[in-house]
Amino acid sequence: MFDFFSKRNYFFILSGLIIVTGIIGLIYNGGFVLDIQFQGGTVIQIEMNDDTFDIQRAEEVASSAVDKRIIAQKSHTLDTTDNRRIDFLIVSVATKEDLNDDERRAVISALREEFDIKEDAEMRFGSYSPSIGRELQQRGITAVIIASILMLLYIWIRFNIMSGLFAGLTAIVALVHDVAVMLSVYTIFGIPLNESFIAAVLTIVGYSMNDTIVIYDRIRENTKISRKDTVEGLVNKSITQSLKRSINTSITTLTCVVTVYVLASINGIGSIKEFSFPLIIGLASGTYSSIFIASPLWVMWKKSQQKKTISNKPAKA
Amino acid sequence: MKSGDGVKSFLIILIIGILTYIAIAGINIPGLDVDVKNVGENIKYGIDISGGIRATLVAPEGLTPTDDELNAAKSIIEARLDNKQIYDRMVVIDRTARRIVIEIPWAKGETNFDPQAALDDIGQTALLTFQEVDEDMRDEFTGEYFPTGRIVVEGNDVSEARPAIGERGRSEVALKLTSEASRRFEEATGRLVGQPIAIFLDDQFISAPTVNARIPAGTEARISFGNMFPEDTVKEANRLAGLISSGALPFSLEAREVDSVSPKLGQSALDISVQAGIIALLLIWLFMILYYRLPGILSCIALLGQVIALVLIIAASGIPLTLPGIAGIILTIGMSVDANVIIFERIKEELKAGKTVKAAIDSGFRRAVTAVLDGNITTLIAASVLFMFGTGPIQSFAFTLGIGVVLNFITAILITRILLRTIAGMGSAKKLWLYGVKGGTANV
Repeated sequence: MFDFFSKRNYFFILSGLIIVTGIIGLIYNGGFVLDIQFQGGTVIQIEMNDDTFDIQRAEEVASSAVDKRIIAQKSHTLDTTDNRRIDFLIVSVATKEDLNDDERRAVISALREEFDIKEDAEMRFGSYSPSIGRELQQRGITAVIIASILMLLYIWIRFNIMSGLFAGLTAIVALVHDVAVMLSVYTIFGIPLNESFIAAVLTIVGYSMNDTIVIYDRIRENTKISRKDTVEGLVNKSITQSLKRSINTSITTLTCVVTVYVLASINGIGSIKEFSFPLIIGLASGTYSSIFIASPLWVMWKKSQQKKTISNKPAKA
Repeated sequence: MKSGDGVKSFLIILIIGILTYIAIAGINIPGLDVDVKNVGENIKYGIDISGGIRATLVAPEGLTPTDDELNAAKSIIEARLDNKQIYDRMVVIDRTARRIVIEIPWAKGETNFDPQAALDDIGQTALLTFQEVDEDMRDEFTGEYFPTGRIVVEGNDVSEARPAIGERGRSEVALKLTSEASRRFEEATGRLVGQPIAIFLDDQFISAPTVNARIPAGTEARISFGNMFPEDTVKEANRLAGLISSGALPFSLEAREVDSVSPKLGQSALDISVQAGIIALLLIWLFMILYYRLPGILSCIALLGQVIALVLIIAASGIPLTLPGIAGIILTIGMSVDANVIIFERIKEELKAGKTVKAAIDSGFRRAVTAVLDGNITTLIAASVLFMFGTGPIQSFAFTLGIGVVLNFITAILITRILLRTIAGMGSAKKLWLYGVKGGTANV
């Protein structure tokens, strides 16, 4: 049987490294990178004839049309009706005052003049307000906090035998860990945060808690059966017993999300890609943290409690 | 007991088969007025799939609209969309953020849809008028009156318009005017007894109640709906009261966030996501069968039933399905075998401990049920919170995830169990390798 508990420091250090890298990245970037949806601005996606157009030129043309700093990107997707590749030019402007209707038309007609774009080439147009963006962020953060509190309460009630509140708290530490890892990966790769990310975080909060609970469930059951075991032994046994399940469930869930991610990446479906990437990171982290963070932490707490009871005894006598 | 399980199993497989058939092919029973199309056509899609426009309308900075004002604004917007012949739309009040979200999907076959035009003037302050009618100025076909310009009272003369209960439980609209206006109203109603007074929003005809008697100044007027079923009057009274109050709406709403998507983009995204879903389902099937053998096959049947049920529920709910929603369905496929994995691992343990197949199944399920229940409830908590706090596209994800989790619990605990017990009852299913456990035949 693998001794998960005595090796705990290695795993704590590994997690620490990822999170510290994230924090360094955060300081280096001067904060989180926010998607246009959160910081406000305008995005226009335009169908191009092929992908040979000059992106630099597009940026210049669009920027000078409205005298605002516009960023251009290439993208593509597959038209499933005739299996034809469609190439896109995505222009975006992140400003406090987004592009108004006239400015949008000016940008498109300037680009049309330059690149010979079709009549109905505007595929997507989005304009986002900074105030609503801020509100979405706040709502997202509130949602994550509320969900975590509800779960803490649930574990407290259901895992009484494991000193529920503390079992809940160590599970929450694992959740914080997962969210920190997701944020770190986003910061390290410079991926902008948006509402999809928050939804993914909440999903992972649910999933990671689910994972922790399956192990806790074993601990709860084993506590009832064998009262002689040491706490470490009990937890090691419980982790080992539920290990196959943890691995298999991670495999099936990851299979699904990775399939979605791969197909979305190949075919350039931005929204799905944005959604499945944080899920992949979170699923991996969620499984890992239940085994290597939540359970050892609980053991450490439990042992410190036992020491207290022992050292208290002579005092009582 | 054993034969009972057999009957149940047969019924379960039959039901899953029928549901799958309905989902794929649709069903049409002419005599019974049942005509359900293939589920893909029946699902309502969000604008990221169907194409269309989504806009958030907000009040000017510094103003917090009240519930009544939001309701009134919603009524105005709906009436204006009616006027533009845009009937397929959603106008939703976001009560926490105090604003209104509109979604107008791309109409099928539409080639030149200008989303901006659909949004033009939609949130402007409305001019509501009660006007005298001219029988010569009517639409020949609909019978609707045209505005005559002989205005009796205006929107800002209305001090209150609310739905109320009238005679025989029928809903009416109770109308209160400012004191000066109510004197003009008394004069006009006295003169126009037996004739209609028409209500217009901007220049659009809304309703033309007939004056039954002179309405004395200072009293509350009641607008009832004579030729309508009582149950329909509730909705109509709400609508009309909202529209009349809208005349007093003190601010205009501005489209702050706009997201407009071409249907071409959405269709491709849908096709590719569905493809991803099917591939994911096949991979999961393969994994479950290779790893868990006989129980694995049964869980595949249960999983199919679960996915079909989920898709049918989404279609029936009318909640628009978005791309994140589809990602939710696929994620649920992966997560839902979790319950089966927990249970099957337990059964394996019990078999290794030397129990009979039947006993192993029973105690495996019994012991796994707490883990499955507790685990699913946390996911359900996350999904519910997300549904409450998320905006449209994300709500769809939360909905599919939440329903998926509930279905998952039902299928894992009930369906797989019954199927497994039936199979275990058969003599040929005693071989341990069928359950992924090494070595001989289980104790009987």
